This record gives sequence, C-alpha cells and structure tokens, in this order.
Amino acid sequence: MALDYFEVECREESGRLAYKDIAADVLQDLDLIKVVSKLYIRIDLDFPFFFAAGVLRKMPPPVKISDFAGVMVRDGNIVLDITDERYMAQMLTVLWERYGRDRVIQPDRFTVTIDSSIAEAKEIEDTVVFDQRRSIYKDLLYALQWIAPEGFRVRREWVDDHRFWYVSSENTLSPQAIDGIISEKMAMLAADGEDGGAFA
Amino acid sequence: MTLVPVTYKGGVYRHDIIVDLIDDLGGYIIQKQVVAQDVFLQSLIPKEDIELVKATGRPLGGEVIESPLVGTEIAIVSPSLDIHHLPHTSCDVAEYLRRVGAKTNMVGLSRGFGKRIANLSIEERDIINEHDCAVFMLGNFETCIEYKMHSLRRGITVPIIVTGGPDRETLKRIIEPSVDGYVGGLGRIGHRMKKQEGEIEYLDRLIDEVSGVLDIRRESIAKDPLSVSPARLMSVIDEDLGITKGSTHPTPVTVQIAGLRVKIPYGEYADYVASIKIDDSVKVGDVAEILPSRMRDYILLRIKPFSDTGIMV
Repeated sequence: MALDYFEVECREESGRLAYKDIAADVLQDLDLIKVVSKLYIRIDLDFPFFFAAGVLRKMPPPVKISDFAGVMVRDGNIVLDITDERYMAQMLTVLWERYGRDRVIQPDRFTVTIDSSIAEAKEIEDTVVFDQRRSIYKDLLYALQWIAPEGFRVRREWVDDHRFWYVSSENTLSPQAIDGIISEKMAMLAADGEDGGAFA
Repeated sequence: MTLVPVTYKGGVYRHDIIVDLIDDLGGYIIQKQVVAQDVFLQSLIPKEDIELVKATGRPLGGEVIESPLVGTEIAIVSPSLDIHHLPHTSCDVAEYLRRVGAKTNMVGLSRGFGKRIANLSIEERDIINEHDCAVFMLGNFETCIEYKMHSLRRGITVPIIVTGGPDRETLKRIIEPSVDGYVGGLGRIGHRMKKQEGEIEYLDRLIDEVSGVLDIRRESIAKDPLSVSPARLMSVIDEDLGITKGSTHPTPVTVQIAGLRVKIPYGEYADYVASIKIDDSVKVGDVAEILPSRMRDYILLRIKPFSDTGIMV
C-alpha cells in the first residue's frame, strides 16, 4: 500500500495480519490511500479497545467560484463565465439554495447569470463550492468506524487539518486508560518524518 | 432406492424433458431456478439412474453436478448485518453453500458483535434451532472467540460449525465444550474471496466440514428411519396446495433432513396441511408434527421416526 507508514499492533499475530488487510481494503474502497500518509493501529484485546492514529497529506484549499469562473457585472446582471466545468453541479446547488432556482439562469453551457439587485460580485467570487477537507473527514471517520471491530460503540475521535486519532471500545473509555497511548502515538507520528514534524 | 442429491444445469430449451424424466424415475425436484438462458434443477435422483439423466441431458447441453447439500437448510449466523460482516464474508459463505445445493438462511444477530457484550436472543436461538445445522461466522481474534462463544451457543441444539480467523487447531483448542465442525482462516475480511489459496480453499473446507456433519446426522436418522421422506412429503403437500405455482419464494416448500418449512400462514393452513392424504390411509398429521415456525408465520413440519408412528410410506 502506498502509505509512508502503516503499522498494526496486536498481541495475536493472525488477528494483526487480518486487520492490516481489512484496513488496507477499507482505505482502498473509500479512495483514502492518497489522503492518508501515516496510519498506526493498535488493538488491545484485554481492555478491549481499538486505537488508530494517523497523519493526512496536505489537502488542496477550498474551491471558490473565482477559481474556475470569471465574474463580471453586465447590464444589471452578474455574469459567470465558467472556465472549468468540474465544479458546475456543486456551484449551481449552492447558488440555487441561496438565490432561488428562478433567479439563477444558465443561458448556455458555460454561462450563468444572476440579477445584480440580489447579489454582489465579490460575494459570489468568494463563495466556497467544494471543500475536500469536509468530505474527507467524513470519509475518514467512516473508514475508521468500518475498520474497528463492530461491537466497539463507545468511541472518541479527533481530527484537525493534518492529524487524527480514533479510539473505540465496548467498555467505558476513561481518560486514564487512553490519554497515555494517544499522546505517545501522536508524538511518535509528529516526530517521525516531515509531515508530522510540522505539527509537533 | 437410494436417492442422490445432484444439480442438473442446462439450457431452458426443452428442459421439461428432464423434469418429466426425474419425476418418472421417482426422483424429486427440490428447487428449480431459471437464470437467463440456464435452468438449475436441484434434485434427488435414484443412484442407478444418474447415467440416464446425464445421457438425456447431453443433447440439450445439460450436465449433472454432484451437490451433497441438496435437501438441507443451513443457518449462516453472522454477528450482525452491518458492513463489518456483509457482504464479505457472510454472503461469500452463504453463496458458496448454495452452489452445492444447500438452502441457506442468513441469521444476523441483533447483538452478536463485541467481546463482553455479545449475546443471543431467544427468538434467534429458536430460529437457528429450526435448521439442520448452523455455521457461526466469528472474527479474527482467538481471545474474543473464546470469550463470546459461550453466550452465542447457549440453547443451540443443532450441530454447530464455527469459522474464524485463527487456524483450525486453535479454534478446536479454545472452544470448550467442543462443537461439531471448525474451519480456520475464515474470519472477517474486507474484500470478496477470489484467491484459490487462502480464500476459496477455506470455503471448500467448509463445504467438506458441513457435509461431514450432516452425513453424521443422516446416519443417525437412518438407524431409526423417518416415516416418510421429506422430499416425498414436499411433493405431496405442493401438489395438493399448489404452493410453488402461486409463490415468489425461491423455495416455497423448503426441504430439510428431517422436516419441511412450508411458507404459508400457520394459522390458516395448519389444520388443512395435517389433513392432506399421503396415501389412502395416511395423512400428513399422522407422520409429522405441525408446528408454528419462528420465521414469519410459516409452518414447520418435523417428520416423526418409524419407531414413533409405526408407519412407513
């Protein structure tokens, strides 16, 4: 797998290898291999708990309308001249929700017009239509829930721009039980290589 | 006359010839499945007539495949029906067992997951006990299997085959008291089983294990034979009520080793089913217990042994 660092720790060797395969399959299924750079998993069979910590690769910034369209004011209308159709569907959804379907007009494939009395060009330019980070975090937490054993319904998770941890169990998760491993492993990931080092 | 469980696979064109032939030979068709241009007949055919069926089917592009599990109903017990266990490995296993003729029912436990929290409800226990055997599909950790198996098997009276990630010897060592079959290497996985080595080979082992367990069951039944063969009882009931014609179930009358599951409401039909005549002097109610199934409102028939009824039809 194309991760910079990937380790599963468990005292049962056959279970460890099985969970390594499961984690790899899940990340591949959800298309997260390019997003996660480091992943550490520990399965404690006595407590029992499942712990995962990792580092994400640098994410592209949110996509604004100005990134893929020219915004001009012409004849009392704001005219959007689309140069890249990739985000068209997301953009129309956002604009329809904000201004109403009947006020967002698309005369041809690459042009969208909005009445300038209800909108401002600057406001439209800065509108974020797609933020990969948002969906990635959802996908990432879904992936971790999927990888973790199913009965572990008591869980805590934390995600920031570049790092994450996830711990789940069937028993009460007291801070004493999990704080140690979280700080130890997050420090290890931070110290280990360039990606994590920046956040230490 | 020894009936052998086989699957006839051939084209739809003129397959009624085979259907009539099996009927004329005194065999039974347990399930007929039409998939696009192909027809699959899961049947019980007299041993000495297998060659005749093969020869008749050859010009129609048909073949006869040995299917040791035709006429059995098996419960595939999965810790839950969540994405952790489905579609892999539970569906892979259920599908593989169906290929050799078994009727499989997936029993997704409501609280079968976890280590300490795993348990089995009374309804789940009763449903599993209506089958010929139960395949318990457990996870990858021997610590968990050892811990939770006690609660999952409580009250189960049918033979149990356990599958799990650890190897067969480990499963045998940790499960106490012992169960009827073990298949190692079949724990939770995240992809469809395709590789021959390490995946399909374990499914083949599972088939062997299930066949072995059911052979032992058949042998013990043979010592005190049933008053009527389940396949014959199926054809008598189906002929009388026309269930297969009017139902969309794949197997409206499911054949088990020593019983039947008839998929019509118990309340309305139980008395009528009991009154159906098998021959001039014997009714269904004389040779079988007619019970309400825990699965929906179906009827469950348990065929009584000869020692109980003194009847053999």
